[in-house]
Amino acid sequence: MNTGILDVRKTYNYLRKTQTHLVQSSEIATACVCQNLFKLDYPYGAIRSDKDYLIANTVHDIMSLCIGGPIIENWQYNSNDYENLTEKIVHDSYNIINEIINYTLDITNRENRSIQHDFKDRIDEIYHGLVTGICKRLMKKYDKPDRIITEITITNIKDHHEGRIDALLEYHHGYGILDWKTYDLNKTISGREKWQLIANNLLANYRYCQDEDDWNRYNFSCIVHNGGAYFPKLETIKKEVDKIKINRKFAFEVLCGKHVRAERPSFCPVCDKGMEGSKECLFYQIDSKLAHEGKLPAQYDKMTRQFFAKRYAILKERAETHLHKHVASTLIDQHGEEEALQRLERTGVICSGYFYDFDIEERVVMSRKDADFSLEPRRIVRIIGIEPKRPFLSCISEQASVMDVSNNKITLSFRSKVAVRRAKKQLFHLPIIMMRDELNLTRSMLRPIHQFHKLAADIFIPQELLPK
Amino acid sequence: MIDLNPDQERILNWRINSGGVAGVIGPAGCGKTTTGSFLAVKIVCEGYARKVLLVAFTNSAANEFCRELSILLGPEAAKFLCVRSGYAPGADTSLSIPFSNSIEVVRTKKIVICTTQSLRRLSGCIKFDNMIIDEAGIERLEHLLSPFTLGINQLGVNLMKDYISYETNNIIELASQSGIVATVVGDPKQSRPIGLADYDLSAMEWVLRCTKYDTLFTTHRLPNKLAMLVDEFADYGGLRAAHDIAARRLIVDKDIDNEFRSIINPDEVITWADLNGTEEMAGPSSWYNDIEAKACVKICCELRRVAPSKSISIVTRYTEQRRIITRYLRSLDVNVRVLTSTGALGTQADIVLFSIVRNNPERIVGAVGSLQDLNVAISRSKEKLIIVGNFETMLNCWSRSYDMNHRIKQNFPQKLAKLVDAKYGEVVQATSLLSY
Ligand code: SF4
Repeated sequence: MNTGILDVRKTYNYLRKTQTHLVQSSEIATACVCQNLFKLDYPYGAIRSDKDYLIANTVHDIMSLCIGGPIIENWQYNSNDYENLTEKIVHDSYNIINEIINYTLDITNRENRSIQHDFKDRIDEIYHGLVTGICKRLMKKYDKPDRIITEITITNIKDHHEGRIDALLEYHHGYGILDWKTYDLNKTISGREKWQLIANNLLANYRYCQDEDDWNRYNFSCIVHNGGAYFPKLETIKKEVDKIKINRKFAFEVLCGKHVRAERPSFCPVCDKGMEGSKECLFYQIDSKLAHEGKLPAQYDKMTRQFFAKRYAILKERAETHLHKHVASTLIDQHGEEEALQRLERTGVICSGYFYDFDIEERVVMSRKDADFSLEPRRIVRIIGIEPKRPFLSCISEQASVMDVSNNKITLSFRSKVAVRRAKKQLFHLPIIMMRDELNLTRSMLRPIHQFHKLAADIFIPQELLPK
Repeated sequence: MIDLNPDQERILNWRINSGGVAGVIGPAGCGKTTTGSFLAVKIVCEGYARKVLLVAFTNSAANEFCRELSILLGPEAAKFLCVRSGYAPGADTSLSIPFSNSIEVVRTKKIVICTTQSLRRLSGCIKFDNMIIDEAGIERLEHLLSPFTLGINQLGVNLMKDYISYETNNIIELASQSGIVATVVGDPKQSRPIGLADYDLSAMEWVLRCTKYDTLFTTHRLPNKLAMLVDEFADYGGLRAAHDIAARRLIVDKDIDNEFRSIINPDEVITWADLNGTEEMAGPSSWYNDIEAKACVKICCELRRVAPSKSISIVTRYTEQRRIITRYLRSLDVNVRVLTSTGALGTQADIVLFSIVRNNPERIVGAVGSLQDLNVAISRSKEKLIIVGNFETMLNCWSRSYDMNHRIKQNFPQKLAKLVDAKYGEVVQATSLLSY
């Protein structure tokens, strides 16, 4: 028994000393728009949007349930009457929409948060727009899929890449990938959405072909937005893959604390349009220029060194949240999936053999035959449903925290009631493995350091040297 | 009404009459939460500040603040003056203090209670002119900066720039000079941020290194012998038991079985049950010791019989040991709390058992050897502390870890073993406990 445990422990110890960062598809997209913009997020921690994402999140929740329900049920290939079809789907979605809206209102009420007066109308309007986009464009071009799975997290350890895909449409001959945006894509300028979609395509290739560069199972990819849909051509996608990989590498190296030069885009869409981030970008550009020229006051220089040390310590912590996944992947590479999972189970990193019992609100109770398992209250777990022929870390999964463990029962708290419904639909019928996971809270920790960095600059750097 | 002891009075008066960032060290049972709550109430009720932020590291600690405030102010005044913010499911709704994250509600309240991680839910436009930050021993510097950002006086900074730049040499001084008034409470000798590098400082250590601090020296938990042991072990420089509890001893209702008489011995506050169990690896970084686990359970069963009304806790460094002990206790239907040393922070019990786990010929004790873990384990009990584990391994172990100021390394397991054996307790052979 000890050999297995020793092997796992050695792998942990070894990987702790390596870089276990993962770059999210959304972060790659940011770096594709502008590498400086990525750096404003990491390591600087300068970007925090005060926008309320309540509407966007609620629409995402609705879509994640409706696409596998009323939308696929009413799918009509090449229908000319998309308007009536849209109405029918919206009508059939009524119960889901209402339930999710009431649930969101209940949560905001519990937290005593204010909500905009036309919240319900805006949701209805956006959902209608997205369904129109699907009926008018997507159904026009593509057949009804065999099944649709939603909110899939895929981790490709080898390429340091992770992402959450809104929906995957599965056909016997391949997959289609779907992303939904709650705003009108025609009015956006940065192209960020497209980059994110392409980055997610690499993850989908990994899920279906075990190789991100294998496009054999690729069918289509699409961004559905308010009233329309955008389909990049495969040639366009393939042409841009290199850019994705370059920026993924860039982001990875920045997260690892390497000094990599960020390239400013020839056309700077964010700053030219005065969107968030531009002011901060200028600040850090001048800051590093002054540092390079040795013009910074000694006190400030000393303090900013401390700020950077802290920032990289936080990033290291972010990397550690991915450690369990790295260990699982390394062991699978070494011993094959079956043996690796057995070793991990003996060490208490994963737990298998659970069956869904029942759920109440956000909580799910599961049980297994015996009571000998290592999960403990407050632990975060990734609940993975093992799918045949899919890499372990690309299988359908959800994150939850352990609330209670007693005898052979475990109570898990999911992110939301919607996540529970989704799991009931697409996850709980699969053989379940729970793997230890961690929460990533790094962004909220970087933000105060940025604020103090600026405060220090304000005090120590002579005004004439700073951007207006 | 809660009475303050002279240490608490001194600290209250000091913090009311001084600005900037300052530290308060609170060893075990010295009333950190009470002092923090009193300070918040005094500051608000006597008009020293308009708005106070009370920050705790965990939801349970934040709820504890709410409980203290409800007692101090009374339920009605607490409801009127205070609000609990942050993560709604973590808030104790049975308390009179309402929960809200709404800017409008938070704006109208004088005392806001929140956890560090949930501060991001509070709007940046709400400013606090005084704050009390608890458990800074377990926090990193960056944790401290998030409440600090809510206390910056930008106008003051603009007016005093030249003076500030002249006076400031580090981040804590920068915070003080920027108008932040914060009392940072914690004990670096009881807690340390998880995963912090050996050479790095916790938030509390930063504060102690860069600014003024005071210590609460009177413990209302530890009876005299334990207080002295903890004081000498952790080098507090004067920790003492409060008069009313100094002579407290365990009182049992029934005769103790022969097998356990020397271990449970009520006349002795600290007993080391010397046992030669076998350590086993578990998990990615955990350990367990089955013989020790069974011995702890046996002692608990006897304690439950002879002193049924007493609260009992078992503390261990390792989650796997906790899991195993919990399983045995459950199978025998014995109601005892089992905690890891991290989870035990802030808790207390009449009787505490500390399971060491590590025992090997190489005398490597790993994480058990840290000052913080040992200190927490030995400072939870109000009447009796029973250390269960191999005495020789601890006495001759190779562990060397930094003390608070990171200047010298010490062998803390050895120090503990020597102090228990020679001065404050008794080491007894517990081989009879090996049979289960
Ligand atoms: S200001 Fe220009 S260079 Fe800077 S982050 Fe924005 S787009 Fe990039």
